[in-house]
This record gives sequence, C-alpha cells and structure tokens, in this order.
Amino acid sequence: MAHVIGGIGTSHAPTIGVAWDRGQQQEPIWAPLFSGYVPARAWLDEVRPDLFLIVYNDHVNQFFFDAYPTFALGVGATHAQADEGWGKRPLPDLPGDPDFAWHLARSLVADEFDPTICQEMKLDHGVLSFLPLLTDTDWKVPVVPLAVNVIQHPIPTARRLYRLGGALGRAIASYPKDKRIVVFGTGGLTHQLHGTKFGTKNAGWDNEFLDRLETDPAGLSELSIQEYMERGGTEGVEMIMWLAMRGALGKSVRRVHRNYTAPFNTGYGLLVLET
Amino acid sequence: MDEVVSGAYVFTVERSARGYALNKMANSLSSADNRSRFNDNEARYMRDMGCSTEQIDLVARRDWKGMLESGASIYLMLKIGAAVGVPLPEIGAHSAGMTLAEYNARKAH
Repeated sequence: MAHVIGGIGTSHAPTIGVAWDRGQQQEPIWAPLFSGYVPARAWLDEVRPDLFLIVYNDHVNQFFFDAYPTFALGVGATHAQADEGWGKRPLPDLPGDPDFAWHLARSLVADEFDPTICQEMKLDHGVLSFLPLLTDTDWKVPVVPLAVNVIQHPIPTARRLYRLGGALGRAIASYPKDKRIVVFGTGGLTHQLHGTKFGTKNAGWDNEFLDRLETDPAGLSELSIQEYMERGGTEGVEMIMWLAMRGALGKSVRRVHRNYTAPFNTGYGLLVLET
Repeated sequence: MDEVVSGAYVFTVERSARGYALNKMANSLSSADNRSRFNDNEARYMRDMGCSTEQIDLVARRDWKGMLESGASIYLMLKIGAAVGVPLPEIGAHSAGMTLAEYNARKAH
C-alpha cells in the first residue's frame, strides 16, 4: 500500500534557482534561505521517500493560452526542462513514474477532478527552482507533477485546491504498491510582479498563512481568490496550491520544520509536515 | 475588462484574448533560434508573428506598462525582457510608473 509520509510547502521563485546556480548559498543575503532548507533535506534523507507528487504552476513554459488547462498531470517516464527564455540550466531531465501517474489519473477522474493528461510535460522553475535544495541533482526520486492554472483568470478556488488535496490522498491510499510519497505544495508566498504595488510583500499574512495551514486549512480554503490577491498580491495567489498539499495529509499533522525569509520582493516560505 | 486588484492588472481571459498575438510572439522566444531572429529585426519578426503596429510600437519603446494595459501577461513580458536584456525589476518598476532608480530609492526608505 502506498501512503503519504508527509508534505512540503515551498516557494518556487526563479531567483532561488539562479542563486543556486551561481553558488550564492553562503552569501549573507541568501544564507537564511538556503540554510533553511538543510533541516528539510535532512528529514527527507531520514524518511526515504520513493516518490514526490508536486503540485505547482507552469509559467507559460509548457502551456500557452491557445489551450490552457486548469489541472494537468505529467504521466511521462521523464520530464524535460523548459527553456524559459534564458536557456536551460545545467540539470538533467527528471524521472517520472508512469504507473503511479496513470493510477492517479484514473483515481482523480473517478473522484470528479479532471486533469489534462500529458505524456510530455516540460517543467520550469515551478519545480526546478527548489528541488536541488532538497535532493541530489541526479534525481533518484521520481517526480509526478500536477500543474494548476493560477495565472489566467478564472482560476480554481482555494476550496477546490484543498479538496483536490483530499482526492490526492485517496488516490495514494488506493495505490496497491508499496510507495512512500511526499506531497508538495509550491509557489508564493506573497509577491506582486507588476503594477503600482510592484515589489510589495506581506510578512504578516505570510506567517498567518503558515500558522493556519497547520491548524486551520479549512478556514484558509474559505477565502476568496480576490482576498488572496488583496493580501498577497496578484502573483502571490499561488499560495492556494499549498492547500492541495495540506489536504492530502489528513486532519492532524506534526510540524517538522518551518522557515521564512524575505530579503527581496517575495516572501520565501518553507514548511515540512509529517502525517 | 480592466479589473484591477492590489494595484495590478488581473490577467483575465478577456485580457488574454486582447493580448493574444503579442503573447504568442513572446512565447516563441523560448527558443534560442527565435531569440536570435527577433534580435536581428524586432519589428519584422513581430510582424511575421502577426503582431499589430501598436504592439510592435509598444515593444520598440520598451513600454512595459503599455504592454500590460494591452493584454500582455507578465510571464511573457519576462521572455521579451530576457531577449532584450531587461530584467524583472526594471519591468516591474516601469509598470508602477517609475524608473528602476526611483523604485530602488523609494524601497530604501
């Protein structure tokens, strides 16, 4: 039987990947972020997951607005890296897990969630920014990516993401093979990339969100998209994807680790929860 | 149409439809070959990709705020920025009605 051994919430800002590639981990402005990932990585080394199920959003690198899916699932044996406009980073393609991914597809559709099924799915910083901080880049742990539209409105509600998490948990519980799975919710935290409030972040709301993700996810799921954007910025609405991770974990969780730092224009959050 | 939240343009399907040609052109810059063709002659490349004269002018002027107002997605503007060597902070500051220097000065206070 497969089961969820825990969840990780993490920001996926592209700046994390750039700083990583440049070897800036020890620089004073970056050290609070990178050192924050060390306990998360130690936890992963201890619990030895077989699979990462990563809820993220594509930033118009795999999908374009000719056909933009609300939910999309990567079922391929490998996931290539997208060229986001600056050329590719020196990282190998990621391994997938088609057998589990097809099970997930069948289970989600039976559970009334209907992802676009992608046999090829190029991944961008939504997955690749933070992953080298948590695992060796020979990618020994396969990844099943689940993309969510959070950029072309209308986008799904926070409640829908929380319920999606429940469906992910049921899909994992019904997979017949032994599999230790960590579910990721990524994006955010607060940031605004354009307009008169460009560069604003909201550390108070970020920390309230991290608190309530543990203790009151149902309450967070009742907030509207408008409220998420007003508190956390139009792009900060990515935070709703953390609710899918939380929803997959069930009622009670134990916090393993939490980190927050905001040296630039984005609140960088990290949360590790155990079931 | 001009739905504004938190001082920003919400990227609605209406905006996406209005900016479709410009966004499609920007999306094509995800390949090195296309970036090179774009850099050789921006206006010709954009015309060949179906962009309007107004859209070509917005890019020629590096009018990031104007691009947003006409339906560009911030994520696709970043691809234009990558091709022409303009980073996010400069694009964001322009969209807020400031130069990057003015933005940095305001942030320092």
